[in-house]
Amino acid sequence: MNTIGHSAPEEVMAFLDGELVVAEARLVAAHLEHCAECAALADQFRSTSQMLSRWDVESVPLRLSDAVGSLATSNASDHKSTERKRSFLWRGRSLVMAGGGLAVVALLVSVSFLPVRRRAVSYTFQEPKLVSENNSLAPLLLEDKKKEYQAPALADKAKAKQFDRLDQFARMHEFMGASSHASASAAILSESKNGVLDSARFSVPAPMIARAVSLTLRVKDVSAARSPLDSILARHRGYSAQLNVSAPENGSRSFIASLRIPSTELSAAVGEIKALGRVENESQSGEEVSQQHADLVARLKTARETEERFQAILLQRTGRLSDVLEVEQNIARVRGEIEAMETEQEALEHRVDFASVEVQLTEDYKAQIGLPPDSVSTRMHNAFVTGYHNAAESVVGLVLFIEEFGPPLVLWLVILGLPMVVGWRRYKRARATL
Amino acid sequence: MLGTLDSDGSGTTITDEQLMAAFSRGSTDAFGGLFSRYKQPLFGFFRRRVVDAALAEELTQETFLAVVRGAANYEPSATFRTYLYAIAFRILRAHRRKSAFRAMFWSQETESREAAVRSTIDTEIWLRDAVNKLDRVDRETLLLREFEQLSYAEIAELMKLPLNTVRSRLFRARGALRELLSAPAGKGVVKDFAAYEERV
Repeated sequence: MNTIGHSAPEEVMAFLDGELVVAEARLVAAHLEHCAECAALADQFRSTSQMLSRWDVESVPLRLSDAVGSLATSNASDHKSTERKRSFLWRGRSLVMAGGGLAVVALLVSVSFLPVRRRAVSYTFQEPKLVSENNSLAPLLLEDKKKEYQAPALADKAKAKQFDRLDQFARMHEFMGASSHASASAAILSESKNGVLDSARFSVPAPMIARAVSLTLRVKDVSAARSPLDSILARHRGYSAQLNVSAPENGSRSFIASLRIPSTELSAAVGEIKALGRVENESQSGEEVSQQHADLVARLKTARETEERFQAILLQRTGRLSDVLEVEQNIARVRGEIEAMETEQEALEHRVDFASVEVQLTEDYKAQIGLPPDSVSTRMHNAFVTGYHNAAESVVGLVLFIEEFGPPLVLWLVILGLPMVVGWRRYKRARATL
Repeated sequence: MLGTLDSDGSGTTITDEQLMAAFSRGSTDAFGGLFSRYKQPLFGFFRRRVVDAALAEELTQETFLAVVRGAANYEPSATFRTYLYAIAFRILRAHRRKSAFRAMFWSQETESREAAVRSTIDTEIWLRDAVNKLDRVDRETLLLREFEQLSYAEIAELMKLPLNTVRSRLFRARGALRELLSAPAGKGVVKDFAAYEERV
C-alpha cells in the first residue's frame, strides 16, 4: 500500500473482508479516515454487499430434516453392525485359512504317497526289456524271470501275457535274418514256458539307434582348430559331409561342419572334439529305428519271394503273349520296389552305423583396425543422395496416403463433424447458462 | 428426529471438527448438531445456484449423505466448513456437468427459466439475473465470499485457484455487479419476467 497516496482498491476490499494482516489493516483504516475517495470506494463495496444480502432464500423444508435424520440414525446402527460384521468376517476368514492349510497338507501327503504305490504296481507286472546298453538282454531278462518265479503270487494270466510278448519278439527278430537271434528268442520262450532259464544260452540284437549330436564350441582361433578336427575324423574313421566357413568383416569367424562318425567311436570322438574349445551348447539325441528296419526287411523278403514266384511262372508256364507280358511287367515293378527298399535299408543302416555330429566353432571376436573411412566429401555426397531419396520417398508416401485415405477421411469428417460441432455448441451453451 | 449436540456439559460450544469426530465414532447427536448448524447455509448455497427449490433440497440431502458415508474416513486436515463446501461444490459441478450433457443430446432447457417462473420475489430475480450475468468463476468466487462467508484462502482451495487470483476476481466481480445493479436495466428484468410469467 502507498501510505502517502490512495490505498489500492483491492486492499480496501480485502480490509473490508477482514483479509489483511493487523499492521496493514491499521494502515488502511487510518487512510480511510482521511481519504474521502477511498472511503467512498469502501462505501460502494459495502452497499453492494448490502444489496446482495437482500437475496434471501426460503427456509429448509422440514422433510429434509426427517430424511437426513433417518439417514444418520441408520448410519449409526450400520456402524455398530459393521463392527460386528468385521469381527465375524475375521473369524470366518481365519476358519477358511485354517481349512485351506489343512487341505494343502492333505494334498501334499497324498502326492508324496502316490509314486510309492505306482512303483509297487509296476514292479509286480514288470515286463522283459528289449533294449540294453551292453547289447545283451540276458541279464535283464534273467532277473525278470527270477523275480517271476520267486513270486508265487503272480497271476497265471499275467504270465501268459508275458509269454505272448516273448513270442512276438522272437517272430519279429526272425525277419531280421539273424538266425542266432531267432533261436535265442525261441530259447527264451521255450525255457520261460518250462520254468528253467539259462542266461548263458541266449543273446539278443542291439536296438538300432540313429544317433545325432550337436556341439557349439567357442575357440580362440578357428583356423588353428581346423586341423585337430581333421585328425579326429581320420583317427575315428569318420568323414565330413558338409563344411561352411564364414568370416564377416566386422564379426567373429565361425566354422560349421556336419560330420559322420561311426557309432562305435562316437563317445570318444565327441570327447575329443569337446576338448577343442569351450562348450557353449551340447545336445544329443537318438532315434530308435529297429521297428522301421524290421518292417523294411520283412517287406523286402516278401517282395523277393514274389519276384521269385514270378520268375518261376515265367520259366515254367507257357501261354498267351499278353500273359507273358503281364508277368514281365509285374517282375519289373517288383524289382523296382525291391531296389527302392534296398536303398532305403542301406540309408537306414548307414544312419545307424554313422552318427551325425553337427559342430559349430565360433571364434572370440577381436576388433581390428579396418580400412580408412571414406573421405568427408564422399560421405557428404552419399548422405545428400540418401537424404534426397528419403525426401522424395516421404513426399510420394504422403501423396499416396492422401490418395488412399483422403476420400474416406473427408467422408467421415462430414458425417461425424457436423453432429459433433452441434453437440459441442449445445454443451457450451448449457454450461454458460448454468 | 435428530437430537442435537451443541455444547458440552460446562456450556462451552463444541467445534464443528469435534462434532464430526464424534459422529465418525457413531454419535447421532453429533451429526444432529452439525446438521442444525449447516442445513440452512447449505440449502442456501444450492438454492442460489440452481434456483429450483426441490433440486436444491435434493442436492443438500445428497451432500449430507456424502458426509455420512465419508464419516468413517474423515480426517480433520481442514476446517469442517471447508470440507462440507468442498463436497457441496463437487456435487454441484457433477450436477451441472450432467445437465449440460443431457442438454446436448435432448435439447433440454436449463432450469433457470423454470426457476424464474416459480420465484415470486422481484428482488431475488433482479439479483439472480445480475449475478448470472457475471463470468462463471467470478460469480462463484463472489457467492462463496458473500453468502458462504469463506475466506480468500478457503475459496482458493475450493476452486483450485491461486490466492491473488481469487482476490482479483472477487474485486472484478464486485465491480461488475455494482454496475449491473445500478443500471436501469435491472428493473427491465422484472418486466421481462412478468411478461414471461403471463405467457406461461
